[in-house]
Amino acid sequence: MIVPRPYALLAEITYRCPLHCPYCSNPTQTRSDQELTTTEWTRVIREAAELGVLQIGFSGGEPLARPDLADLVRVAREANLYTNLITSGIGLDDDRAGALRDAGLDSIQLSFQSDKTDLADELAGARAHQRKLNVAAKIRAAGIPLSLNFVIHRRNIDRLSEMIDLAEMLGAERIELANVQFYGWAFLNRAALLPTREQVVRAREVTTAAKARLSGKIDIFYVLPDYYETRPKPCLNGWGQRYLTVNPIGEVLPCPTASSAIPDLRFENVGAHSLDWIWRESESFNRFRGTEWMPEPCHSCPQREIDFGGCRCQAALLTGNAANTDPVCDLSPNRSIVDAVLSNLNSSTDQVTDWTYRVNPQHGQR
Amino acid sequence: MQTPTISGSSQPRLARGVRLQTDPKTGSSVLLFPEGVLELNETAQDILARCDGRTVSDIVKALADEYNADNEMLAADVRETIANLQQRKLIELT
Repeated sequence: MIVPRPYALLAEITYRCPLHCPYCSNPTQTRSDQELTTTEWTRVIREAAELGVLQIGFSGGEPLARPDLADLVRVAREANLYTNLITSGIGLDDDRAGALRDAGLDSIQLSFQSDKTDLADELAGARAHQRKLNVAAKIRAAGIPLSLNFVIHRRNIDRLSEMIDLAEMLGAERIELANVQFYGWAFLNRAALLPTREQVVRAREVTTAAKARLSGKIDIFYVLPDYYETRPKPCLNGWGQRYLTVNPIGEVLPCPTASSAIPDLRFENVGAHSLDWIWRESESFNRFRGTEWMPEPCHSCPQREIDFGGCRCQAALLTGNAANTDPVCDLSPNRSIVDAVLSNLNSSTDQVTDWTYRVNPQHGQR
Repeated sequence: MQTPTISGSSQPRLARGVRLQTDPKTGSSVLLFPEGVLELNETAQDILARCDGRTVSDIVKALADEYNADNEMLAADVRETIANLQQRKLIELT
């Protein structure tokens, strides 16, 4: 098999976060809290650029929790990578915004929970919304291009239109409206987060209208609520094809949610191997690469190089086997699992409303 | 989505937060933007290399001279590419 080159590295530099969003995709259990050092991240970033990566996303947890963030951005820019910061904004003061700009940061993707303070703070499990509004102004003042990111779920999906207005008011260049995908904490809290069919239909109308109205002004990226689709998402554009993630403890993952969703897969660590070897040779990156691993109905399906059989993590979480067809697909013998979840919600008048807030990994950092 | 009319006197520029760079692995041009990499086809490469304050008409003329091509066909091609990039907020028109 010809191994492709990766285009983007997601650098999850810490799992620590001041927010407690119940839809977080981070693992609910982490095996260690020993974060990579600045020197280790520097090596990882340079190796990624050598491998062909053109773009790096600094994420977490909350990446601002690491005091060396601007140093890492500088390393990435020196390696000619496009640098994007994916953040809650908590911890971004004028000094840090200036330092990040001077380090060459290309873009900031700022998350919001809602347009309304009370709902947003309830979702974040912290008083964060007003601080985020201030942070958005600081980002604009520092001259860094701003994207807004909203995770969409049952509690906020009816406010899409107001959330788009907020992004417009804050001067965002891009908006990502990402229907919650069910991994990590979100999988745990699915019963309280899954939107109803009626809400999903309405959300699609609102988004389509906003896209037309804002065309050329703000780019709107809408992530579909995949349980309501009949064909699976082309997850990662195929396993081990374009993306890699390095998590806070240095494990290299084909997908950020794989370490918790697929427990029988062994992930290699940057402390033991080069990124190049892990990308090309490791069992974890090769297990679902290409189409040979596919079972039926995927193996002979004309869509197999369009959706790649969907999401391995979703197959693992819902069917217990990561090699199964993503059960979102209506050709999957396991589609009934998804249908049961949907019909349970859409036929019930008594909806689950409580959830478990995300908590931080238990011990302090080294 | 309808295609907006692109005026010959408008000046296309890279949008904020978008970088044009050479992919060291392939030698061809790519646009980099938040969570996105776009590998450019030849027309888009030719246009973006000339988005330096020139107007759309000037870009068409320069390309027509260079390729010894029919001005009108080329103009349609250039406008379509510009409209497409503008809708995705990868370039801005002033």
